[in-house]
Amino acid sequence: MIEAIEFSSFSEFLNMGGYAFNVWAVYGLFAIFIVANLLAPKIRRKSILKEQYRRIVLNEESDANESG
Amino acid sequence: MWLWFSKLGSPKWFYELSEKWLPWLVGAMVVFLSIGVVWALLYLPPDYQQGYTSRILVVHVAVAGTSLAFFPLMAVAGTITLVWKMKLADMVAKNAAPLGAWFSFITLATGSIWGSASWGTWWEWTDSRLVSMLFQFFLLLGVISLRSALDNSEAAAKACALLSIVGCINVVVIKYSVEWWNTLHQPSSPVNLDSGSANGPEFWVATAIMIIAVYLFFTVSLILSTRNEILQREKGSQWVKEIVKKQHAEV
Repeated sequence: MIEAIEFSSFSEFLNMGGYAFNVWAVYGLFAIFIVANLLAPKIRRKSILKEQYRRIVLNEESDANESG
Repeated sequence: MWLWFSKLGSPKWFYELSEKWLPWLVGAMVVFLSIGVVWALLYLPPDYQQGYTSRILVVHVAVAGTSLAFFPLMAVAGTITLVWKMKLADMVAKNAAPLGAWFSFITLATGSIWGSASWGTWWEWTDSRLVSMLFQFFLLLGVISLRSALDNSEAAAKACALLSIVGCINVVVIKYSVEWWNTLHQPSSPVNLDSGSANGPEFWVATAIMIIAVYLFFTVSLILSTRNEILQREKGSQWVKEIVKKQHAEV
């Protein structure tokens, strides 16, 4: 497993055979792409649930006021 | 069959089913993504011509291939919306468009970064593959703005469905552009499993794993945003109100 790794040192790994900028830019973009498109719907879900809970509570209160 | 079909189209049914599927899909996505990235970054041998820039192609090919699935998906969902008026299909189509725009953008960006190292140019206006992919990106932005421009959601669904069907023609152009016009972008290499060759088995296995990972990510992200859409469009219904109350109690 370890011997099959293409690099013998960490700096060699970072250097990517002279294409450090290109390789790391692509993998960085890829990471942002994945995280953004999983986090955004998660955050959205939270705000939707919060907003709708507030609406339900408000409606129940106004219903209670009307009948009382 | 028809019972199954109308059940599948029910937002509630989809919401409950996707809840059961999500943990498995997320788990599989994490496993495939980790294996794909570690393999590509640590174990993939350098290409004899491209050096380590071939590692970029593992991501680029997976994202680009998946980006071609959006217009066919939106066209099928659009047709279902037009013919059977299925609400769920329209929700999927609506949320697929922004994700597809992301996929197209990442395809263009990763390709450009690879090209700057390998071709010596970031962009080439005369290349059919590059320009048709850029066109797909703009078409998806068009679908998104068309939907937000039309207040009537039924008219918006109709217009987007039609534009999605037109967009499928462009997908065919993207796919065959490298064969019809022999410009800068190289045609896809045939899958070659002889070890020691430039596009040998290491590259193909890494790419195959990454393609599965990216498809899983696409599915998970689309399910998450479709579930949000369901919560919003069905907010008047009792079952959604119960979910909202239950979630509030748990937090």
